This record gives sequence, structure tokens and C-alpha cells, in this order.
Amino acid sequence: MIVGTVDGSSSAPLWVSELASRKASWAAARQATIAGNIANADTPEYRARDIAPFNPDPYARPLQMSRTHALHMELTDLERLAEAVDETGTWDIAHSGNTVSIDEEMIKSGQASRDHQMSVAVMSTFHRMMLSAVSFR
Amino acid sequence: MSDPLTTIGALAGAGMEAQSQRLRIVAQNMANARSAGATPGADPYQRRTVIFSAEMDRAIGSYSVDVKRTELDPTPFRLEHDPSHPAADAAGNVKMPNVNMLVEMADMREANLSYEANLQMMRRARTMISSTIDLLRSGQ
Repeated sequence: MIVGTVDGSSSAPLWVSELASRKASWAAARQATIAGNIANADTPEYRARDIAPFNPDPYARPLQMSRTHALHMELTDLERLAEAVDETGTWDIAHSGNTVSIDEEMIKSGQASRDHQMSVAVMSTFHRMMLSAVSFR
Repeated sequence: MSDPLTTIGALAGAGMEAQSQRLRIVAQNMANARSAGATPGADPYQRRTVIFSAEMDRAIGSYSVDVKRTELDPTPFRLEHDPSHPAADAAGNVKMPNVNMLVEMADMREANLSYEANLQMMRRARTMISSTIDLLRSGQ
């Protein structure tokens, strides 16, 4: 145990770092999904995808298909997280059936970018705090 | 699975590649806007279009994009009356390509917009990667 504790089992700064780290990976996965949407902005019948909102509970697992046979294809992490956005949820639908709106994707990408920056800032701040707590200077 | 941040580079790269192929076809159409045939009644240049398709790239675990094929535009050719042209038929009409400059310009602008959007994603991914690497420096 290093600094403060929450319930005697986990130390708070480490817990915050872990949370920030998971949020950063979530933001990176979201950014990758958005990059896939933008790459497919002009693909006929492509439906815009987004990933499930961030869940701070580390033990929460979304409902997913299980792999019970060696021939089953394993879902990749992005596939597990990304789901097609509802038609009503997108800004526009092109005549070709494509539901990607570049403006909307840019806004979402900005949000993901900010989320990532925030998590990285939290990690570095807590790291600095821990260093100042253990240093003798 | 590969790191999402490096995946973005591959996805945006595939998007830029697809859009630049589209731009190349637009340039080809525009360059051939007046390419008529050489023999009487011959068909002129036929406008081409690109077809994109989303492909599941299992190496990066995400939907990438690729140019599936290029297709010929079935719109009828324009007829121009020019009896002195080598491609003129018995009535003096020449078949000219079914390329509309205005449509090509609009297509070019759209390809440009999508290309820049992909470029922007690449920039954002680079910023995210460097801010993650900068965490290593926070101890100094």
C-alpha cells in the first residue's frame, strides 16, 4: 500500500491509474472505429459503427457470443466493442445506403481525442503526485 | 489484436489510397472528355467509375476499404454534328464521351473531402500516440 486506501484492498492512486488506462484504451478503440467509418465514408451500403459507452466497472462484460468450437471465428477486440449505429442515430443516409456523415464522425473523433488526452493527463498527474510523495527533495 | 492507435494508421491509409484511386479515375475521365473514336461510327471513351467495398481486415481487426473494381458508365454518348471529323457516321454525327465536366468536378471535390478527413484521422492518431509516449517523460 502506497498512499491512501479505499477499502483496505486497493490503493487509490493505482486504482485511478488503472481506470485512466482503461479509459485511454477505450478512447483509442473508439478512434479506430471512427477511422474505419471515415475510410468507408463512400462505400455503398456501409453502416456507420460506434462502440459501447465507457463502463468504469472493470468486471463488466458485454453480452457476447462464445467460441465453443475450434472452427468458430474469434471476434477481435474492436468487433466485440463496435456495433452498428441505429439508422435514426446518424445524421444522414446516402442514396447508396451509406450512413456515415463525415461531420458527425469528425465531432466524435474530437470527443475521443479529448477523452484520451484527459486520461493521459490524469495518469501523468497521479504519477507526478506519487513521485513527489516518495521523493526526499 | 493490434493496437487500436496503429490500426488507425492502416485504416486511414487504406482510405487515402482508395480516394486517390478515385481521383485518378476522375483525372482520367476529365483528360478523355473529348476523346472521340478514330474510324467512322466508332465508340468514343466511356466514362469510368470506381466501386468501393468495405472489407473485414482480420490482421487489424476492423473494416478497411478497398477499390473493388472500376465500372463503365452506361449513360448514352453525346452526339455532335461534325461531318469533317474522322469518326463521323453517314449522317455526319460524331459520338462524344459521356463525360460531364460538372459531375467530374463534384466527384473530385468529394474525393478531396474524404481524403482530407482520412488525413485528419491520421493526424489525430499521431497526436494520441505521442501523448501516450510523453507519459514516459512525466517522471523527469
